[in-house]
Amino acid sequence: MLKICNVSKSFNGVKILDGVSIDVEAHSVVGLAGPSGSGKSTLLRCTQKLETPDGGAIEYDCKVGFMFQDFQLFPHMTVLQNLVYAPALKAGPDKRKQCIDKARSILKDLGMEGKALEYPRTLSGGQKQRAALARSLMIDPDALLCDEPTSGLDIATITDVVTLLQSVNKLGVTIVAASHDLDFLTQISDKIALLRGGKIVTEINPKQREDPIGYLKGYYG
Amino acid sequence: MSKLVSDCLYIGSGVILTLELLAGGILVGLVLGGVFSIARYRGICKSVINGIVSIVRGTPVILQLSIVYFLVPQLCGCKLSVLSTGIITFGINSSAYVAEILRAGIESLPKGQFEAAYSLGIPPFYMWRDVILPQVAMNIFPALVNETVTLLKESAIIATIGGMDIMRRSQIIASARYEYFAPLCMAAVAYYVLVLSIEYVGRKIEGRKVVC
Repeated sequence: MLKICNVSKSFNGVKILDGVSIDVEAHSVVGLAGPSGSGKSTLLRCTQKLETPDGGAIEYDCKVGFMFQDFQLFPHMTVLQNLVYAPALKAGPDKRKQCIDKARSILKDLGMEGKALEYPRTLSGGQKQRAALARSLMIDPDALLCDEPTSGLDIATITDVVTLLQSVNKLGVTIVAASHDLDFLTQISDKIALLRGGKIVTEINPKQREDPIGYLKGYYG
Repeated sequence: MSKLVSDCLYIGSGVILTLELLAGGILVGLVLGGVFSIARYRGICKSVINGIVSIVRGTPVILQLSIVYFLVPQLCGCKLSVLSTGIITFGINSSAYVAEILRAGIESLPKGQFEAAYSLGIPPFYMWRDVILPQVAMNIFPALVNETVTLLKESAIIATIGGMDIMRRSQIIASARYEYFAPLCMAAVAYYVLVLSIEYVGRKIEGRKVVC
């Protein structure tokens, strides 16, 4: 579904990705683990075409949504406007009503129906995360790239995010999540690839391994 | 007493030209400054725009006014009115400062806002119009109010080419009677009231805007 082949990327002469290859199967959840600066976010950004790789290829023929680490909701728009703006622009003014109905339905599924007319600044971290997820789901993505989806969230909210991403995955959406939170990744992932120094140093299925967190921590050094 | 009232009315009627210059100058400044800023951000004619902004900011307004009023007609053969000269000069002058204010405003936005718009497939025109510029406008509003106040005060140099604004009228009364205190105080009060009014309106608008 999503094929990353031998991708490399440098910034100012510093190699951030050094020949990274991953196959992401349809409907799976792939976790990208690794210490800060290992290249997790850069790999996701290259996949979303926010960065251009220096070498290698990233191939996919599906709609890909992106969830930013710091949400990047538009602060001058309400939650509903954040969800509706881009899809309504593409669909045209006569389909705006349908977009609004769809947005309200997604917000309801995520328990955010009461927040539709609120501005992002009034939302908690968890609610912003849900709003960002809702906005990503508006384009009916086949795959969702999540950059540090649990960053800055408390334990209860992280549990919520796990449940949300699992329910999104059950709807058939492939998920690739980059996180330094190994506990979170082992809960949601079918496969975890651990990056270090811009290379994948190991890949595991956390469900088939005893103490996957301990195993992965061994690579942090 | 009646002389004081008639002086007040005479100087006060200069407010019309001052406000015309202010409105015209700030409008031209915003439009031109906006074009400069976005073009520069997107790398279009960057060196030319940088050059214009640098020259405009690096030379006195009174010199720019003199160039537009005396030199341009000699070169082009067309005579400009005092009002047109003022609006063109203050507009161009203001555009350089507005371009810098906008640049700072655009650069202060997180890069992620541009990336989020790109990720959502928002075309560049709509991204600028509906996502970026509304946020930039909120961030730079206090600086724009400040620029408006500066422009209002700078407009007093229109008196040097014979514009009958507040300053010129107060000078006329002063030089006719060799009495400087009252007419200059009246001009000061007129400018101060205008500045306070702009600041009041600015604060009202700022209070209503959505805080990011």
